[in-house]
Amino acid sequence: MPDFKDKIRARLADLKLSPARENEIIEELSQHLEDQYEQLITRGATEDEAYQTALLDLNQSDLLEPELRRIERRVHHEPLGMGADRKSHLLGDLWQDLRYGLRMLLKNPGFTAVAVIALALGIGANSAIFSVVNTVLLRPLPYKNPERLVMVWEDNSKQGFPRDTPSPANFMDWRDQNHVFESAAALVEISFNLTGAGDPERIDGQRVSASLFSLLGVEPQLGRAFRAEEDQPGGNHVVIISHGLWQRRFGSDPGIVGKPINLNGESFTVVGVMPRTFQFPTRRDQLWVPIAFNAKEAGERGNHYLEVIARMKPGVRLQQAQAEMTTIATRLQQQYPETNTSIGAVVTPLHEHVVGDIKPALLVLLGAVAFVLLIACANVANLLLARAAVRQKEIALRLALGAGRARLIRQFLTESVLLAALGGGVGLLLAVVGLNVLKRFIPPNISQAHAIAIDAKVLIFTVLVSLVTGLIFGLAPATQAANFNLNDTLKESGRDSAAGSRGNRIRGLLVISEVAVSFILLIGAGLLINSFLHLRNVDPGFRAERALTMKIVLPETRYADKEQRGIFYRELIRRVETLPGVISAAVATNLPLTETGNSVGVSIEGRADPAPDRVPIVITRIISPRYFETMGIPLLKGRAFAEEDKAESPAVVVLSETTARKFWPGEDALGKHIKIGPTNSPNRWLTVVGVVKDVRQFELVVEPKPQMYLPFTQANFFEPRALVVKTNLEPLSLAATVRKTVWEIDKDQPVSDIASMENIVSESVARQRFSMLLLGIFAGLALVLAAVGIYGVMSYSVAQRTREIGIRMALGAQRADVLKLTIGQGLKLVVTGVAFGLAAAVIMTRLMSSLLFGVSATDPMTFVTISFVLVSVAVLASYIPALRATRVDPMFALRYQ
Amino acid sequence: MSYIGSHILDRELKKGSAELLILSLVEDRPRHGYEIGQLIELRSRGVLHFNVGSLYPLLYRLENRGWIRGRWVEKPGQRRRRYYRLTAAGEKVLAAQRNNWRDFVQAITRVTGVAHA
Repeated sequence: MPDFKDKIRARLADLKLSPARENEIIEELSQHLEDQYEQLITRGATEDEAYQTALLDLNQSDLLEPELRRIERRVHHEPLGMGADRKSHLLGDLWQDLRYGLRMLLKNPGFTAVAVIALALGIGANSAIFSVVNTVLLRPLPYKNPERLVMVWEDNSKQGFPRDTPSPANFMDWRDQNHVFESAAALVEISFNLTGAGDPERIDGQRVSASLFSLLGVEPQLGRAFRAEEDQPGGNHVVIISHGLWQRRFGSDPGIVGKPINLNGESFTVVGVMPRTFQFPTRRDQLWVPIAFNAKEAGERGNHYLEVIARMKPGVRLQQAQAEMTTIATRLQQQYPETNTSIGAVVTPLHEHVVGDIKPALLVLLGAVAFVLLIACANVANLLLARAAVRQKEIALRLALGAGRARLIRQFLTESVLLAALGGGVGLLLAVVGLNVLKRFIPPNISQAHAIAIDAKVLIFTVLVSLVTGLIFGLAPATQAANFNLNDTLKESGRDSAAGSRGNRIRGLLVISEVAVSFILLIGAGLLINSFLHLRNVDPGFRAERALTMKIVLPETRYADKEQRGIFYRELIRRVETLPGVISAAVATNLPLTETGNSVGVSIEGRADPAPDRVPIVITRIISPRYFETMGIPLLKGRAFAEEDKAESPAVVVLSETTARKFWPGEDALGKHIKIGPTNSPNRWLTVVGVVKDVRQFELVVEPKPQMYLPFTQANFFEPRALVVKTNLEPLSLAATVRKTVWEIDKDQPVSDIASMENIVSESVARQRFSMLLLGIFAGLALVLAAVGIYGVMSYSVAQRTREIGIRMALGAQRADVLKLTIGQGLKLVVTGVAFGLAAAVIMTRLMSSLLFGVSATDPMTFVTISFVLVSVAVLASYIPALRATRVDPMFALRYQ
Repeated sequence: MSYIGSHILDRELKKGSAELLILSLVEDRPRHGYEIGQLIELRSRGVLHFNVGSLYPLLYRLENRGWIRGRWVEKPGQRRRRYYRLTAAGEKVLAAQRNNWRDFVQAITRVTGVAHA
């Protein structure tokens, strides 16, 4: 009896039935054939005739496999794109496609893992950055109709202040004369020493117009907002406190409203507690008191220190408001030429003000992560293409069985989207982890930074991105499958089919674009890193090492006159300097890189007063004698202040080198005289006794502006608020001792903002560090993905060319030749990619020039270095497959296939 | 010659008339596949022939639909064989298909004027 089982098994092999079911069918069918065989024998056929006839019966029908495939679906869930005659059921098909896709992914865990990781990195980076953008840029401000809120500034462009803080008199004229605003409010920073139960504390707050809260449309959670009569001098000893302060300092006392608290030694009645989410203008602000201009303030037009916020009437557009304010400002210019000559008015959306200068950085980062995702897409598309080539047989079979091309494309796209969805899921997890890390680097002064989180919008964004991603990277393989030439594939058993060469071309293009895109990213990151290095190498003009700083603000109520304050400062410095480990100590109005402001206009002896808008403006710092020494600011000429510079001794000033050069170019500034205010003002002439090096007072990126120093014994119009201590210990280790020393002199005197000078410097570049770090990470990610992409394509290409390489080697090609051939192929792609990337980068990096410092957007060094890095990585990525190519055994390669 | 029938039958497969044949043959008692094939050939006097590749997918399909039920049966001295019997659902289908078929044949007859011998 011949055995038919093997013949049947062969026919069923492609069906991949479960083994049990397969055996059952084989048993049944072979029985049938055996019965047939026996019958033929009994009727007189020879054994061979009987065998051939039975076999013919088996092979006669080519319906066996397709029919079984369809019927046995319950046993083996292989859905088939059969069915020209089958009605298309969208949902049913989708379900089928999904299950099939999932099975395909599970069947190739390696492929799936690589693709999902690449996508997860891309999508995760996008979700994380989008959460930041969403919270910081997109989320509406938490006020009523926030789109109608604007800031109004004085435009003093002529003196370099296009958005200057308005003066009180100007603010009041603006408020009373306009027809475009529902209401307008002014505010100005104020700090209070909060005393009473617990340690004395320095609390930042704002003096605000009584109308501010109704203007913002936010009600206190407890109590009430200010009343109009409280916005008058004498009626203003009321305070509204933040939710945080209420919780922390007053134990969430529900009866706090109506109770008095002690601010700067005076009693204020708490009238309200704001809701937890309220912050205005920043998170630092913990309390608000009525601004209540006194008569002197109300008349001030030349002192510019307010911030003005306004709510536009419904239907009024920004341009209308701007036009109206310009009209009013022009009128005021004519009315008050001595103060307002060059002062216009600018209206800007509140949102723009709140978002501030982080916007360009965030947009660049958003672009960067989009690029990373594109590269990930290219990688996955490459993987899919390679796999599609392997799946040619499957595609051919399906087409032969009558699957429509549309149906095939749908199947392929479903698989891609499924892959993208998996990537999106993992990416979301990465985003959650990443955000927690990211939050540490977000500059603290960014509005809403604390509120950054993954919310519904981010989820929707992630889902959409995943979907689109899946469609993008699925498109190439899907169309390739659709254009698939059935006949060629059926005729050629091999892999070197016609579709292969087109696939290679697509793969090449993908690598080129990957390289181009990562080149742009790397250039961006390179420029930022370069900027940051420049920034850290900027000489700030002082030495930040081993200096401890803190804020000590004497309340005017307790230290009413100059003498009292002078005694406190001198005593403080004396005591601190006796502490072990302290080299020197000093006080100053403002430390570099902490606060802006405190600028005055000066006149120079022997020169006529210039026009009001030409008056030299000088940053002024009022200091104690050993300040330069303590801060490490080099004295270039003359002397620093000394104990001898007493209130009644001749008035002295120390200038920065820029000031000296600007005022007396080519001359010695020592012994010359300047005066605060115009020449005819009653102020004393100040004698220049020293010149010190320029200090970057505001920001490291800002070129030093003219500055001068006055001794605190002689000048009192700005109050020293900062103590700085030079030590030979770790600065912060001294903090507690120094604070104790302060309390020994005055137990109610708060100490705040304790920081080392190095921290201050580092904080001041937090924004730049944030952009640099993130872009650096993303560019690194892009580089790795691109390298993986190149490696993948080269490996595939080598595998495809095994035979060709074998022949070459059989014909005498050397190892080096093969290496050259393979690496050359990779290099060609990379160099093309770099060329495209170069062209694009020249255009794109210009968009980020506002983030750069000390390097041009087309810095040749960066471009050359990055090109070199990218090409090296690419060579490395193609070297490994190339090496594999040289190990091809010619005989094996020739026999192969 | 006999294979002409199989080509016709392949086409008929899709139309479902082959189902009627099989359902009829297992109506009175359970039969195994080879027996069914033999009976079809025998009773059609050789006009209709099922080859292996057509017959079994058809049986599995009917079984999948719940119209027939196959069971392995071991009889003394023989190999085990798979016997198919008509289910209750199959009976209903058979009745309906018989009616349809009768109507169809009568219609054809009326149109073509081919009379019964």
